[in-house]
Amino acid sequence: MPMYTLDWFANFGFSVLRLSTPLIFAALAAVISRKAGMLNMALEGMMLTSALAGVILSGFTGSVWIGLIGAIIVGVLSGAIIGFSNLTGKTDLYLTCIAFNLAATGGTVFVMYLLTGEKSTTSAAIRAFSVPSITIPLIDKIPLIGKMISGHNLLTYLAFLSIYMVWFFLYKTRLGLRLRAVGENPKAASSVGINVTKIGYISFLISGILCGLGGAFMSMGWVSFFMKNMTNGRGYIGLSAMNIAAGNPVGSALAAIFFGFSDAFATMIKGRGGDFPTEFIEMIPYVATIAALVVMNIIRMGQKRKIEQGVKQK
Amino acid sequence: MAQEVLRMDNITKIYDNGFVANKNITFWLNKGEILALVGENGAGKTTLMKVLFGLESPQSGDVYINGEHVKIENTLDAIDKGIGMVHQHFMLLPSLTVAENVALGIEPMKKGLFDFNKAVKMTQEVADKYRFNIDPLSKVEDLSVGQMQKVEIMKVLIRGAKIIIMDEPTAVLTPQETDELFEQLLLLKEGGHSIIFISHKLEEVKRICSRVTVLRHGYCLGSYDLENMNESDISRLMVGRDVVLKIDKEDPKPEEVVVKIKNLVKINETGKKVIDGISLDIRKGEVVGIAGVEGNGQSELSDVLCGMDTFSSGEVRINNQDIAGKTVHEIRQMGLAYIPEDRMRHGCAADLSIKDNIISDRFFLPEYCKGLFMKHKYIDQLVDQYIKDFEIACDDKNQPVRMLSGGNIQKVVVAREFTSGSNFILANQPTRGIDVGAAEMIRKTIVKKSRTEGTATLLISADLNEVLECSDRLLVMRKGKIVAAFPKANEVSEDELGEYMLGIKTMTAKEMENVL
Amino acid sequence: MNKTRRIETTVELVRILVAIGIAYLIALIILYAISDDPVFIIKQFVLGPLSSSRRMGSIINLAIPFTFTGLCFCFMYAVNKFNLAGEGIFMFSGCIVTLTSIYLGKSGFPPVIVIPLLLVVGAFTGFVISLIPAYLDAKLNANIVVVSLMLNSILVFLSIWILKYLMRDPSIGSLGSLPIPESVKFASIFGKFKIQAGIFIAIIAVIVVAIIFYKTVFGYKMRVVGSNPNFAKASGINMMVTIVLAQLIGGSLAGIGGACEILGNYDRFKWVASTQHGFDGLMVAVLARRNPILVPITSLLLAYIRIGADVVNSKGDIPIEFITVIQGIVILLVAAEEFMGGFKKRLIYKAAKDDLKSDKEMVVQEILADDENKIEARKESME
Repeated sequence: MPMYTLDWFANFGFSVLRLSTPLIFAALAAVISRKAGMLNMALEGMMLTSALAGVILSGFTGSVWIGLIGAIIVGVLSGAIIGFSNLTGKTDLYLTCIAFNLAATGGTVFVMYLLTGEKSTTSAAIRAFSVPSITIPLIDKIPLIGKMISGHNLLTYLAFLSIYMVWFFLYKTRLGLRLRAVGENPKAASSVGINVTKIGYISFLISGILCGLGGAFMSMGWVSFFMKNMTNGRGYIGLSAMNIAAGNPVGSALAAIFFGFSDAFATMIKGRGGDFPTEFIEMIPYVATIAALVVMNIIRMGQKRKIEQGVKQK
Repeated sequence: MAQEVLRMDNITKIYDNGFVANKNITFWLNKGEILALVGENGAGKTTLMKVLFGLESPQSGDVYINGEHVKIENTLDAIDKGIGMVHQHFMLLPSLTVAENVALGIEPMKKGLFDFNKAVKMTQEVADKYRFNIDPLSKVEDLSVGQMQKVEIMKVLIRGAKIIIMDEPTAVLTPQETDELFEQLLLLKEGGHSIIFISHKLEEVKRICSRVTVLRHGYCLGSYDLENMNESDISRLMVGRDVVLKIDKEDPKPEEVVVKIKNLVKINETGKKVIDGISLDIRKGEVVGIAGVEGNGQSELSDVLCGMDTFSSGEVRINNQDIAGKTVHEIRQMGLAYIPEDRMRHGCAADLSIKDNIISDRFFLPEYCKGLFMKHKYIDQLVDQYIKDFEIACDDKNQPVRMLSGGNIQKVVVAREFTSGSNFILANQPTRGIDVGAAEMIRKTIVKKSRTEGTATLLISADLNEVLECSDRLLVMRKGKIVAAFPKANEVSEDELGEYMLGIKTMTAKEMENVL
Repeated sequence: MNKTRRIETTVELVRILVAIGIAYLIALIILYAISDDPVFIIKQFVLGPLSSSRRMGSIINLAIPFTFTGLCFCFMYAVNKFNLAGEGIFMFSGCIVTLTSIYLGKSGFPPVIVIPLLLVVGAFTGFVISLIPAYLDAKLNANIVVVSLMLNSILVFLSIWILKYLMRDPSIGSLGSLPIPESVKFASIFGKFKIQAGIFIAIIAVIVVAIIFYKTVFGYKMRVVGSNPNFAKASGINMMVTIVLAQLIGGSLAGIGGACEILGNYDRFKWVASTQHGFDGLMVAVLARRNPILVPITSLLLAYIRIGADVVNSKGDIPIEFITVIQGIVILLVAAEEFMGGFKKRLIYKAAKDDLKSDKEMVVQEILADDENKIEARKESME
């Protein structure tokens, strides 16, 4: 079978890692929010606006790095807006996030139009920039693994590095400790003088940084233009990844990679052509998300039941 | 000469709804002593300590620490001034380690990062100094309740508290853990700390405290040396009535059994027997009262009887129907009417109208609906009548319930439950936190219904006025058991009642046999 | 007491008006900033919708789907569940209804039977689909927002697939279904205004939903469960059934909306992307503060703003998308407790404070006088 050579596996693995990148960022952003006690549903809109910001700033300044920084800043601003609405304005978080996502979907198209006259993608109007890819010397010579790991976009490596950094932040820094305290028992935290609202804001801002990176990858790594609604549900998929791993940073990243796998799988099948209708292939990531949620919750309920029965037997 | 380390002078605190929690209270704490602060629930102990700890500000009064007049703005301020509070409900983070919990808020740092090892060391130092046997590295969720409390104490000590408030510390401890705690407290006392020990358990008060301050119904009855007092003396001060409420009532003529409870046991998630073998009959036409300090199983009993919670073993029959495994709806159909302890949580929907709230237990009955539709005209008339009968002060029946005063909200609850046609009324703290007028009305109606309609009522109340006046038979509950049963409530003296409530005396099963 | 209620109601109304006013203002600012001829554009935005009967008709035509999805979300919101499947249901229902109409059209049944049948098909589609997130949430505690949003995406693809493989019309250039039989299409009424007949169904829907909410047993249960679930349980109301059923009814309404939209405005099914009407319904419901009676009003308001944007788009080449930003802002403002909440509190507090102040002073005096006696009496009785 000529198809399944080592090369083919290497390419597939490469694809998985590449497609997981935005999902990992989204999942980590969700983890930070969750650890602070909140469910951040606005990841979608945050990444989308950051994606546009990256393209615009890099296009107009000629520097991809300014674009990247711009994406991050916009992500932080988005986080600030959502935080303000929820923490200070006391709007229901779900509603805030839904409203933000809505505004982002239309708003990005609007801004794109204003600046480029285009309504679907910026590829014609703005010069394409891409965050560079890196080939790791020596590693790339290793058969199979080398081809999978080396040659990725800088942001992909950054995504994996972020897993460590988020873990480190949560479990090794004072702020991370306080954030987890607020998420677990805000009363206890405020009783020792921690400003719960301030920590809430900080969690949104950090979420924003991660979403900024995720969005930047979408428009300056995965492809090098902004397209209407290009995040296409990735924010929610990242959120589900976090849900599956109950907020654990490493687990969430692994779940994100699983979803990246389903995305790569769908792409591969589509690429093979044939008669299988593309619509069903496109559905795969979404169905996978629902399926994963269902399975996870069934397992969790089973565990809970076992604990309850165990206690009764005591 | 005893040195005063704390003095609270003429503290008066009135809450926004008009309830006066502390009336002109004065007490003081000497250095190196353990002072007991006693009083029933509602006496004002919690409020007083909230004032001390900066959680509430008093309308009038002064606080002096070491002779100096101070103003305590908030919790951090209180901690700064050397006051520490060990809360009754722990303020801990279960998934974190002891060290992290203790160090939270004052975390040691190294190169900008949280220095976990230093936090462990700091915690170990405190543990060693005060002889707590706790591993700073263990996770709080793995600790026993007694150990968790020690962590709370360590939190207070590590911040340099010299005045420590212990709020009902032994409520959740086993006897061994209590012993350990007391050893700790004596050690702390020797170390120069001064402790305010809030408790209902008079035997403990006698054991480790040197003085006692007694609160009742918001005012302070004085502070006394415990050397010259025994538990009965304290109980007499704590428990009693100021307003002698006399409800005119004939003797009850109890008939057949409406509610039969046999050997009811409930074990909660932590394995504790919160209801420990209760057997009791409630008959048609009588009011059975359960007196007792809150937290002795009354809430659990009430939850079990109405179906909001399950029980572990035993049997409960309402109108000869077994309630085991039945839903609230089904039990209400069996004949239950329920006045819940927490009226805002279980008794009403604050944003809905009075009308919507009153029919919540009966809207599905053929009388009130026809097919899919509610009979609004009929319901309107009915609700208007109820508003009149129960004297609910409101604009009209469509007014949202949250706009009413506490007493009127309770009247809405009562209007619903008392007109449900049920022959068993379960009333749990029915007049808590409401004005005298509404309370009067509710109590009189409970008695009236039992006499004229033959309802069987179980009245659980921490208010002695209420329970002594309204009940026919009176029981006392303690630690999940019934420890006293009196056939005639109006023949019981308050002092005697107090002794049973506070565990100074207990009746044997034989003595109670006929009364249950 | 009376004062408080009046203050609350007034503030609520004012809050909605202010929110819309701010939104409108932002829209005007944006238009002013980006247009070459701001005065002209603004005039188009504000008055454009009224400039022709056709345009006025399209306000109403747009308000119709808004009403359906608004009613749908009223049900979800009433039981505090953010089930957003209305979006996907709207599109998918349109698809299924087209498919059914094409097949039924050949069968020769009279429109009197077929049209109601199609509406039932639409309702049923919505009912069944809404069950998925509702059930998964009730039984497995699966995040209802994520499930419903994923489902929406799946439904979009499913609709496209059905269009492509089950009812595609090869004779037309773009992607579109076979034509919907003339007999079942909704008439266009009111002459020049060209309002589609679905308006009657929408009106009926509003009335029926209002009746359900306020006159039926189920509506009562829904409101109690939504207001205080603990209380609902203590009163014996079955929570799970009420919550799920509310969502199913909501879904059905979105389904009917999709059906009416297709039958009223199109000759064939051509949607290749989601219509966004589901989210419009969310805004309508939030603005209407969950009250179905207000839904038609807020639908018209929103439709007016949208058509204004449409006019601006065609006359001045400004994309409609800026409206979604406005929408987001309005939702936030209306839903924010604190928006004018501080103002409201201050009014209420001031009204109450004056009463309370004198009471409290009196009480403190009484206590000071009273206590001396009480303490003495008690001490005496002890001796």
